Amino acid sequence: MMGRLFQSVRWTMLLWYALILLALITGVCMLAYRLASNDRTAQLDREIRSFQGSFFRTLFTVHPLPNKDDRASTEDLRERLRDPGDLASASPELHQLFTSGFYIAFWDTDGTPLYTSPNAPADLKRPKPSKDTQYVDRGKLREILRYDPEGLSSLAGHDVGAERGELIRFGVWLGLGGGALWLIGLGGGWWLAGRSLKPIDDIGRTASRIAAGNLNERIEIANTDNELGRLGQVLNDTFDRLSDAIERQKRFTADASHELRTPVTIILSETQRALKREREPEQYREILGSCRTAAERMRSLVESLLVLAKQDLPTSNGTRLTCDLAEVTAGVADLLQPLADEHATKIVRELAPAPVHGDPHSLAMVVQNLVSNALVHPPAGGTVRIRTIAQPDSVCLEVADSGPGISAEHLPRLFDRFYRADSARGQVNGHAGLGLAIVKSVVESHGGKIEVDSSPQGGTCFRVTLPLEGAVPPPWLQFPGQNSVWGGWRQGNGEHWLLNTWLPYWRSLQGTGRTAYLDRFPPPDDDWREWIDHLKTRTAGQA
Amino acid sequence: MRLLVIEDDPLLRHSLTEGLREEQYAVDAAADGPEGLAKASESGYDAIILDGMLPGFDGWELLLRLRREKTTPVLMLTARDAIPDRIRGLDAGADDYLTKPFDFEELLARLRALIRRSSGGSTSTIEVSDITIDIAAKLVRQDGETVPLTPREYRLVEYLALHRGCVVSRTELYEHLFDENEDSLSNLLDVHVSNVRKKLGASFISTRRGHGYCIE
Repeated sequence: MMGRLFQSVRWTMLLWYALILLALITGVCMLAYRLASNDRTAQLDREIRSFQGSFFRTLFTVHPLPNKDDRASTEDLRERLRDPGDLASASPELHQLFTSGFYIAFWDTDGTPLYTSPNAPADLKRPKPSKDTQYVDRGKLREILRYDPEGLSSLAGHDVGAERGELIRFGVWLGLGGGALWLIGLGGGWWLAGRSLKPIDDIGRTASRIAAGNLNERIEIANTDNELGRLGQVLNDTFDRLSDAIERQKRFTADASHELRTPVTIILSETQRALKREREPEQYREILGSCRTAAERMRSLVESLLVLAKQDLPTSNGTRLTCDLAEVTAGVADLLQPLADEHATKIVRELAPAPVHGDPHSLAMVVQNLVSNALVHPPAGGTVRIRTIAQPDSVCLEVADSGPGISAEHLPRLFDRFYRADSARGQVNGHAGLGLAIVKSVVESHGGKIEVDSSPQGGTCFRVTLPLEGAVPPPWLQFPGQNSVWGGWRQGNGEHWLLNTWLPYWRSLQGTGRTAYLDRFPPPDDDWREWIDHLKTRTAGQA
Repeated sequence: MRLLVIEDDPLLRHSLTEGLREEQYAVDAAADGPEGLAKASESGYDAIILDGMLPGFDGWELLLRLRREKTTPVLMLTARDAIPDRIRGLDAGADDYLTKPFDFEELLARLRALIRRSSGGSTSTIEVSDITIDIAAKLVRQDGETVPLTPREYRLVEYLALHRGCVVSRTELYEHLFDENEDSLSNLLDVHVSNVRKKLGASFISTRRGHGYCIE
């Protein structure tokens, strides 16, 4: 219980507050007491001095000096102290002072008492030799001592018991007042802490309701400018993003399961039909064929989903290499040539070397999706134009078809997962509507962007722009690693390349105008130094 | 019994039509919304199996348009299993709703129930004197013995039995017993009727000259 109490922010705040307030009030009370006490003492000292003055005046009134203007000598004083006469009756003021407790005593140079007032306490002692006037507290008595080595020493005092008592009473009242103030302050602090923590409690409660699944709720923010308002704002933004992500995830899962339903239905329906009665082998073959097609459709869907899931992970960027987008594109176009033949479509290549830093497999997937879309969707007999362009700060891939274009209503959602412009599910080619989503995902993970232009006259053109910033820059020559050979290269157009390749392969490309596809190969059998030397001489003029 | 399958996925469409044909139904197929609507409003089907997501216009739209002219029983078969989709389908005029993936036997049972309900019946067997027609098992029994009938003969008996007491015209019989691909020669029906009479007794089906046939 106590442990939990001290973990509470409210209690901790209150505890510190109490300590600080206590120190402050104690300090102030002590200061006040001290000041009052000093003031009282100073007043007492003044009174004692004025009593002394009164005594001397009376002394010289009873036995006046012969000449009024002379200064009284020590001898004069000593004489008068030995025989003071009836001082009290000579001055009512002095009488009054004596009765109110003031007393006075004098000693001669040799220490013999000269005069002691009748009301003086019995235990008076001659003051010890000292240059200065001394103020001494002795029990309830306050005394002023003066010592004159050539003359007389004196002591004047007063019983201050009553004043002391008064001071102590003042101190007690001060303490009680301070204590009361402290308690009131504590109450205020408790209230204040509770008040300032209430919004945090509210935020906490709302947050836990949201965490429990009520994703549409948001923290109410009364004042957006204070710290709690900003905290609420930050949390609300976080919840917005969170609920967006969950919503996207939900939709994706729903879409994925929806897409899997049709092939599963086909397999179930076909197998149930097959098992219902004895059949001819030909019929079994046909049914198994349908099942296989459905299963293949599921496989391609699952693969696409996996690719997307991988692209969604922030860490998995594949193997990033410097590679030539033109090279990658040419490879994919070669692979897709049979599909182009099937659709009687011509592939026109305008491939300029386009070095880019990225994952060649993912980039190949981008090209493959774009080109196969351009081949499959427009009517047969058209042309698909593939271009790669190297720009100063980026690399561009364009895939354009000569089809009837995509109507404007579909363009904004074209890259959404599972979105299909024709809304006809389960086409013969088994497209699930994930291809362009994959393309977009890969391009964005490479820091690039994808745009689409479409018009009924000009067909559809997809343009992928990849930034060059990731491309490996110019240590113009590097030496081999353990498994591969590296070389820096500066193109005629001023671009820097890093080659990472197998020597015979690189050599085979010499003079063809093509550049080595950058990949890891086993170490070359022959001496790579020869190649390095060759590279040095070739690049010497350009580097 | 003649059915229409409207489904855009070619594999599933093929599987459904083949499976249903093997269950003694005459089956037509359509691949998209407009084609499905045209076929459904043109001919008299005993039931329609309708996919939700279709090119052209979707199943819900098709239902709304079809219901303006026909009350053919419709079973919606779709991958969308959310409650609002079901409600939308049923409110648009679907008589039943089945989500993919489904069990083929369940589909058959639901189809039988749909057809039975639309012809006013309530059980899956019909008895005519000593002859029992088991619609679920697609069998006809006479005195407990199964009578071997060809699929088309069975269809004829079943259709007439479901419309027992009514005179069913030749045109209606043609519409419900043969699918669009079958060659419906005009004397084919007479051949089937005479075969059934040979197997089940001459008095089982009576002829109303100029009107059609009837099971009393």
